Amino acid sequence: MNFSFLNPLFLIGIAAVALPVIAHLISRKSGAVKKFPAIRFLIASQGDASARSRLKDLLLLLLRACVIVFLVLVFAKPALFSFAPAGSGGPKALGIIVDNSFSMGYGNNFARAREKAAEIIETLPDGSFGIAAPLVAGEEGRLSPSSGKEALRDQLSEIKISNTFADNEDRLEEAFSALDGAPGQTKEVVFITDLRKNGWQNEKIERDWLKIIDVSGEAAQANRAVTGIDASYGKDAVTLGLSVSNFSDKPEESLLASLSAGVEELSAYLDIPPGGTVLNEFSIPGEYISGDKPFDKARDRSPGDARGTFREVTAVIPRDGLAVDDTRYFVLSDRDDFNVLIVDGDPREDARLSETYYLARAAETISEISGARITVKDNDSFLDEKLSGYDLVFLANVGDMTEGSAKELGELAARGGTAVIFLGERVRASSYNALLKDLLPAELIAEEERDVKIVPAPEPVFPKQIGERLSQVGVRKHVKAVPSPGAEVLLGLEGGDPFMIKKSFGKGSVFLVTSTADTSWNNFSITTVFLPVVKSILDLPGSANEGRRNFIVGDAIPIDASDEADRIEVINPSGKRHVIETSPALFDKTYEPGIYTVRESGKDSYKFAVNVDPRESNLEKLDIAPEKPGAVNASGLVKVYRDIWRYFLWGAVMLFISEAVARAVFS
Amino acid sequence: MANGILDIETASRLRRFYFRSPSRVRGRKAGIHKSLYKGISPDFLEYKEYNKGDELRQVDWRLYGRHDRLYVKKFEDEVNLAWCILVDSSASMGYGEGGSQKLRYAESLAATLAYLLLRQGDSVGAGAFSGKELSIIPPRAGNSYITPILEKLESLTPSGGTALMEPLLKALEVFKQDASFIILSDLLTDESEIEKSLQLLKAAKKDTVIFHVLHEDEIDFGFRGPLEFLDMESEEKVIVDTDAVRDGYRKRIREFTGRLKLLCHEYESRYVLSPTSRPIEESLIEIADK
Repeated sequence: MNFSFLNPLFLIGIAAVALPVIAHLISRKSGAVKKFPAIRFLIASQGDASARSRLKDLLLLLLRACVIVFLVLVFAKPALFSFAPAGSGGPKALGIIVDNSFSMGYGNNFARAREKAAEIIETLPDGSFGIAAPLVAGEEGRLSPSSGKEALRDQLSEIKISNTFADNEDRLEEAFSALDGAPGQTKEVVFITDLRKNGWQNEKIERDWLKIIDVSGEAAQANRAVTGIDASYGKDAVTLGLSVSNFSDKPEESLLASLSAGVEELSAYLDIPPGGTVLNEFSIPGEYISGDKPFDKARDRSPGDARGTFREVTAVIPRDGLAVDDTRYFVLSDRDDFNVLIVDGDPREDARLSETYYLARAAETISEISGARITVKDNDSFLDEKLSGYDLVFLANVGDMTEGSAKELGELAARGGTAVIFLGERVRASSYNALLKDLLPAELIAEEERDVKIVPAPEPVFPKQIGERLSQVGVRKHVKAVPSPGAEVLLGLEGGDPFMIKKSFGKGSVFLVTSTADTSWNNFSITTVFLPVVKSILDLPGSANEGRRNFIVGDAIPIDASDEADRIEVINPSGKRHVIETSPALFDKTYEPGIYTVRESGKDSYKFAVNVDPRESNLEKLDIAPEKPGAVNASGLVKVYRDIWRYFLWGAVMLFISEAVARAVFS
Repeated sequence: MANGILDIETASRLRRFYFRSPSRVRGRKAGIHKSLYKGISPDFLEYKEYNKGDELRQVDWRLYGRHDRLYVKKFEDEVNLAWCILVDSSASMGYGEGGSQKLRYAESLAATLAYLLLRQGDSVGAGAFSGKELSIIPPRAGNSYITPILEKLESLTPSGGTALMEPLLKALEVFKQDASFIILSDLLTDESEIEKSLQLLKAAKKDTVIFHVLHEDEIDFGFRGPLEFLDMESEEKVIVDTDAVRDGYRKRIREFTGRLKLLCHEYESRYVLSPTSRPIEESLIEIADK
């Protein structure tokens, strides 16, 4: 808070402080002159009284001067002010989004963000409407503006740091949209963040209504994290790969990394270069792994010795400024891995011009979370590839298709895998219709070239935030297609043609996208919805999630429950029990990292691990110039005043009374 | 005009009172004061062995019959006395309005006393002093002498400073014979000078009565609020918060009168505090024979 005067010219009136002094002198001088004989006794007596009189005079003078000063201050209108986003002069609609992604847990960034938000709330003019919401939404539901600071304070107090992160732009857009219904001439959103790169789709985001306040204390914050644990299953042993990353510009030397697997305690000292990641492998004999798969051979052996068996693994490194990513959990899955094949029908020497460039990037991004293994092959290689080792296959503009490869695709879907087919100029509709007749979700008709937008299906299957941004996608060319019986149109095009169609096949699914995976026919792959759509495909029921035991905070997890289960409970790491529906058995309250336990009909069924997203561990800052908190006269910030002249008026009254009392006492 | 300062009513009420000198005096005429010499008054004084030259008619023959020795009876002698009434006419005596003016009060007191003294057969001289000046009319006896005394007193106007020594020295020149001094003054001068004056009068074997004339304001100091005071003699100015100094002032004026009383006692003078609010009668009774 700073201090200022709204009518500083009135401060000239401070000169009136001289009035009591002058009045005092005048009153003494202008008093009647009295001739008196015994003046020597007066002079002598005045010496005695002078000390008391001086005290009285001083006190009265002080009180009178203070009365004048306070009255002058009342007219000068003193006010406290702080800096608030521009436009806060009158009632306004303000959204305050507090970054509660887990990187904000570094140091006291989160506390500072809350303090700054509280400060902004206090500066809101009367009659304003606002929203105080976390960046990573909890269970609070749809954002809606509230009137009054008290409501905003309540909302702010509810904001807790999360263990994940969110799409910043999406949330900020949501907050701004929520202000639409609020009164107020100006509408804006203040984002209080540490400006970590993660969460930004577009690093150069610029919105007139958006003010970004950086609360991070340093330009760069060093952090190290356990960024991954994976398991590879050997013949009679499992190798646990522990990835530890150093997100700083200084090397980490002899960093102790410990891995706890049941009663087995394994550790290693790691040297990690600046910005690097070190993978350290720990090998554990198969007999110590509980469960049946994949150690069929081990099953025939004698069970583990006194050390017992395990499926959960916990990896720990020494704590640093961001503690949440210094521990990582892992649950051994019955599945050994999750393999994705991307078939590029139009590979180029310059990878960025390849058909699957954007698709591969999206898949790699997802693989960082899910641990999927990505394989990219060209059309020719695909024709010879056996798909039995894959769980998900993307075909992008694959022109050559044989009966054999079509059969492989059919078997993939039949056993529970997923095939996603992007079309393109190399695809011959007749060939696809013939070879993939039963598999294809739609019959391909002909290419059509016209600019159209994507429209979501009447009953959206994608999350709301994806659906709202699909209008970004412009399609210049597509293949007209007629959905097969039983197929579901997930996304359509203006004019009624389908854009994305899904068909269940066997235990799996087949997706058909009627345009290209690159940017030659559309801009789908370079929009912010591409990655979420691809991930949503993976997350859709019936996809290859079955058997996964390792997830990221915030994931909605399909629970592998038996058909007979009448009650499914999930116990989170804190011991809190959540009862979930049996159909579909989906658990979405993965708010904290740790080991979760699934119980079916009162008995433990299996466990799964939830970890923070390792991407958020990289505390590299976004290179934009935000509004610094407390920056004086920073662009985009205006002074917001709070009148305090009333206090001075009361002070003047009190001083006036005090002066009268003092006068009475001394007289 | 003379009646203006002479309080006839007071004088008539005090006509049976006498003002005697406490000392024996060398009076020439018969009066009410005890003479330094033995005389013919009916008051027996002492026996004295007869010596040659003593009057035989004063021999106590009865005593001679019993003791066979000659003793002579001595008797008191009563003579009249000269009084010197000195009124302070310094500027400070001008304080007060009308009858409560200190000078007016002192004049009235002096006039009434002079009248009574003349009535009892004494001779009275009156004068006024201001600064170092003294103007005085010599002592005379006889009731008719009141007129010049009153004229003298009425002619006084307050001016000048207060000094005692010089005027007293001049007065002593005039009153070389035995005389009693009556001084009416506010005595607002150096206490050392007052003391020296009393010392001088005692050395000169003059009975002295001091009427300390003060205005009620000088005793009670009943002023309110801040006032600028101007000294009536020195023109010195002082701004005073009267409320603040009142208690201190009263204390000091009490101490002043107390010290004067003590000084007078020390030098065998009589001290009469005479505030202008006090009836003249009361002040006079204090020095009268009851």
